[in-house]
Amino acid sequence: MVQGSFVTELRARESPLARTRALSRFASCCRCSPCSVAGRQFLENNCLNVFLIMRRSKNCSLFSLLRTSLKELVYESEAKRGLWLSASSLVHEDLHLHPRIPSDLLINTRSFSIPVKRFDCASNYGGPGHHDFTEFRVLNRFLCSSEAGSGELPKCWNCGGDAVSPGPFLACGLCGSVQPVDQSIDFFQIFGLERTYEIKDGNLEGKYKDWQKKLHPDLVHSKSEKEKMFAAEQSARVIDAYRTLSKPLLRAIYLLKLEDVHVDEEKTITDPDLLAEMMDIREAVEEANDSHALNQIQTQVEEKFEKWSRFFEQVFKMHDFDNAITATERMRYYDRALEEITKKL
Amino acid sequence: MLSFTGKRLLGLGHRVSAAAVAGRGYHERVVDHYDNPRNVGSFDKTDPSVGTGLVGAPACGDVMKLQIRVDEDSGKIVDACFKTFGCGSAIASSSVATEWVKGKKMEEVLSIKNTEIAKHLSLPPVKLHCSMLAEDAIKAAVKDYEAKKAKHSGNADQVEKA
Repeated sequence: MVQGSFVTELRARESPLARTRALSRFASCCRCSPCSVAGRQFLENNCLNVFLIMRRSKNCSLFSLLRTSLKELVYESEAKRGLWLSASSLVHEDLHLHPRIPSDLLINTRSFSIPVKRFDCASNYGGPGHHDFTEFRVLNRFLCSSEAGSGELPKCWNCGGDAVSPGPFLACGLCGSVQPVDQSIDFFQIFGLERTYEIKDGNLEGKYKDWQKKLHPDLVHSKSEKEKMFAAEQSARVIDAYRTLSKPLLRAIYLLKLEDVHVDEEKTITDPDLLAEMMDIREAVEEANDSHALNQIQTQVEEKFEKWSRFFEQVFKMHDFDNAITATERMRYYDRALEEITKKL
Repeated sequence: MLSFTGKRLLGLGHRVSAAAVAGRGYHERVVDHYDNPRNVGSFDKTDPSVGTGLVGAPACGDVMKLQIRVDEDSGKIVDACFKTFGCGSAIASSSVATEWVKGKKMEEVLSIKNTEIAKHLSLPPVKLHCSMLAEDAIKAAVKDYEAKKAKHSGNADQVEKA
């Protein structure tokens, strides 16, 4: 991507699809965030311009990607004042031109629908001395993801209707339009389950099919580009959620992820007992010649998996995350062994 | 692709099929180590001149065992063997490791870096941890041998005192 000409190139593209493609390339470039000076400069110079174009194109998911990159740049150092001022002036511009933010001009996700009166308070804060602080707060609110307790229900981008609870707001209950992906809705919420390891009678399959009846891309093939993209992303997310929640091991790892527990996947395991045990199991699987022997081993390994699965449940409830990680490691090893057995059978 | 005996020795299972080799391209060196397994096997763990390194990768559930036989007088590694359960890259990495440690002194062997192994096999970024595992296996084997030696000489001293 040639620096500087990127924005011109972007403006020149008429087709929304082409623009989307160019923008997603830019967004992934932002995410890889080269640490070189030239790279940073490029991001700074272009980020805001692209931000502006994005806002007008109303492409939510890419917008949130860029917003994250911009946020990182801005929070990096005091020296980014120029960036703050420019970004916040965009927000003011919106509000001065459209005192009542109509739904078709601003992107209606929870994070962006900011009522006018809050800004009036902020801008009334006063003189040049407070200027920085105001700008920062304005930008801060603009950039921060959904504020809990803001008391606002998400609104449908299409009909402006309120999200009807219960249930996560993936598709509008009134007009049926598929909504943009909200990353703050976790997999458990999609299936209406508590955030626990044990899910009895979750009826995952039934709920999965119900969601796909509303979100599947095939259902929106005659709708706008925007909605097609929302449908593709939402249904992909639901598929991910279904897969993750149906397998105990993946569910366990996901739960740890939600609790922000960092599992160091790079670290080599040297626990002699576990490794010796796994060596024995894998060797036994290799040497087993008939399905009877394999089934025996399978039952044994399944038992071990169960044992550690229950252990995980216990320690996770008590927030003993170190032991929880150990449990998932063990479960992964047994799971691998079971995969090999299944392949052989 | 491999004979049954070959599969048994390698402890591979059906990880790399012919299709995968042709389409996605494991590097030919990786395939070579798979087709012509060298140094697969086991030494006697209790033998005092044998060091055993047993390591595992948490991300993919791989297990790697690397054993070295050390000549006490010269401190050189005279023989090495391995047994790995994992993907083609992990097997190749451990195979390369056993080849490289043979004939070297123990101190030299500790300086073998995973990046060298990865470069030799042209491993893609997603498989770099396999070479890391091989490096760790070498270190673990050396450490095990040293520990055994220390214990052995410790016992010998006790016997002498008695």
